[in-house]
Amino acid sequence: MAMILEKLPGLTKGLPGGELLLTTSDYFIDLGRKQSLWPMTFGLACCAIEMMASYASRLDFDRMGVIPRASPRQADVMIVAGTVCKKMAEPILEIYHQMPEPRFVISMGSCANCGGPYYDSYSVLKGVDRIVPVDVYVAGCPPRPEALQYAVVKLQEKIAKMSLKKGLATVQQEKGSRDINA
Amino acid sequence: MTNDEVFSKISAKFPKIEKASVQIKDYLTVRLSSKDDLLPFAQWAKDSSFDMLETVTATDLLGPVDMRGYIRQQNFNPFLPEGATPQIESAPAAAYPYRPAMDLLWVFFSVAERARVFVRLELPRENISAPSLVPLFKSADWQEREAFDLLGIRFEGHPNLIKILTPDFTQGHPLRKDYVHVKDRFDE
Amino acid sequence: MSDTALKSDRLFINLGPQHPSTHGVLRIGLTIDGEVIVKAVPDIGYLHRGTEKLAEVRNYHHCVVLTDRWDYVAAMPNNLVFCLAAEKLMGVKTTPRADALRVIMCEMNRIASHLLFFGTYGIDLGALTPFLYAFREREMILDLFEMSCGARLTYNYIRLGGVMVDVSPEWLKRTTEFVEYFKPRLDEYDTLLTYNPIFMNRTQDVGIVTPQEAVSWALSGPNLRGSGVNHDVRKSDPYSGYENYDFDVPLGKTGSCWDRYHCRVQEMRQSVRIVEQAIAKLPDGPFMASGVAKIPKPAAGEAYAHVEGARGDLGIYLASDGGISPFRMHVHAPSFINLAMLQEKLVGMKVSDVIALLGSIDIVLGEVDR
Repeated sequence: MAMILEKLPGLTKGLPGGELLLTTSDYFIDLGRKQSLWPMTFGLACCAIEMMASYASRLDFDRMGVIPRASPRQADVMIVAGTVCKKMAEPILEIYHQMPEPRFVISMGSCANCGGPYYDSYSVLKGVDRIVPVDVYVAGCPPRPEALQYAVVKLQEKIAKMSLKKGLATVQQEKGSRDINA
Repeated sequence: MTNDEVFSKISAKFPKIEKASVQIKDYLTVRLSSKDDLLPFAQWAKDSSFDMLETVTATDLLGPVDMRGYIRQQNFNPFLPEGATPQIESAPAAAYPYRPAMDLLWVFFSVAERARVFVRLELPRENISAPSLVPLFKSADWQEREAFDLLGIRFEGHPNLIKILTPDFTQGHPLRKDYVHVKDRFDE
Repeated sequence: MSDTALKSDRLFINLGPQHPSTHGVLRIGLTIDGEVIVKAVPDIGYLHRGTEKLAEVRNYHHCVVLTDRWDYVAAMPNNLVFCLAAEKLMGVKTTPRADALRVIMCEMNRIASHLLFFGTYGIDLGALTPFLYAFREREMILDLFEMSCGARLTYNYIRLGGVMVDVSPEWLKRTTEFVEYFKPRLDEYDTLLTYNPIFMNRTQDVGIVTPQEAVSWALSGPNLRGSGVNHDVRKSDPYSGYENYDFDVPLGKTGSCWDRYHCRVQEMRQSVRIVEQAIAKLPDGPFMASGVAKIPKPAAGEAYAHVEGARGDLGIYLASDGGISPFRMHVHAPSFINLAMLQEKLVGMKVSDVIALLGSIDIVLGEVDR
């Protein structure tokens, strides 16, 4: 604890009964939030295999506090790993709305970013940001597991800037969703 | 069994069936004269060790594919100079006999004999329908549904001929050459 | 069910499309009566990307890129099958070195794919450890692929007329080292999962497919061979010089989930044998045939090629009208055809066995929906 306390931008005082910590509530909430990002195990296509690889033995996502959850009710992050087809768009929306606030979306791979190799297909949604607001985009087809882990680091940086005043939303979420049902 | 042996067996039983003019390379390709021949042929195939129906599909011979079936923006390639033609367009090839017909294809395989026979049947494109092979081969089920979904071929006698791959709101049959994409709510 | 004192209602359960054990976006509508399934309706198409349609406006080199993304767990056989069909259309003959490299890559990829199956099937049935072991070895194979072509999953390594680049002596050395490292690991897997009593109880006598059913459903790959039907494209219709290698085709006995699983584990041993032989007698020479055009325009014609992919008999029917893009491409996708038996086989099973059967079929949704 002492290590973390030293880094906190607050005032730490030794008191007879223990230590008193003064810091901003935003910093404290964001600190807890960013260190335990629980994504939903939700693979769509090729990128899901790389997502699995990043959970697996060599790259070990757990060390960043990223532990996959099977239910959207327990998840903070949705990693959209793969091609979003039009038939799948509605289940994705449903899953997104089932996740508790604040929720974040990582769009993994070219297909989820913009359609990728399927840019002219009749059945592929050209980017998941047409239905849900995306916080971090990861380029690649598929991106390496390290890229996904870097995306989580970037998301943590974003979360560190969130504040209670702004209603606990990241910049993307403030701009509003391009939710077609809204 | 070599291709010639298989063909001599077939022509002994069905004298009307001929070798197709366009052979699929390295494999025996026969052409049915009408769709009434299909069920007897399939029954014979099942009884004479061609017990696996590998493929059911078809080719639309209408012409080069309609580019309106693809969702393309005007200038989707930022590296192209202004006004340049983005990518290959589908152009008619010289001397290819385009015609308003569909060329159906069934592939029968004999596990014991390790022989394969490709069966073709050309049908006119309007209100296209063919007999279903589901009563004989279980593998025909999903493949015929796929052909119905993507090409619009009705298989008479299929117990459950509904869409399988495309979502409900996709209109038309995408693999038809004249498929024009109708904008749905997911295309801006 | 009906003659018990307790009267049970039928319940509809929606399995997927977001479910950790459906290996992607498969959806199955299950109607259950107590614990027993009375009706199962698989719903696919959640990953339908329209590849066959897209191929009609891509040129032949571009199409190889699309093939990578059908069976993304084992992409090399996909590259290979398209190249074989297109080479037949164009009349291109590949060089011996290219053939041998293709065989090495496909077999390495089969090992990688079966390792993924081994890991995820363990997870499906509650054994979390095999996943970590399987990925340890899988990452090594992916490293080798990365060294040869730069990509981990979607390689685009096998090109029309040959392969993308030649492999280096260093690569061959490291592959040989990997093979030596990998052989004892297979015995480790047997002690970890294969003969684990809990695992065996959950998979033996579950989801039995008789040989007649397997042929009628046109199953292929380990699903067919698990039922004891001896059909392997590498033996029955050899391509790329598979007739020159000495390997066995493992067969199952009863057609249960465990037999299908065991076929795959044994296949890894055979793949290791093929890789060893191919490296030992790798011929010298060019890795790419001459005379492949930048934009090929094959004469009008039709060709069919098929390979033994990691999931079964993967075939491509390719028709050309003389233009620069295929006139029609049809994919004979083993996952799609293998999955079709689910609607019938699930009926009468217990709910807990659904995942055991589904996992043992080893589908990849990219190939099912294409």
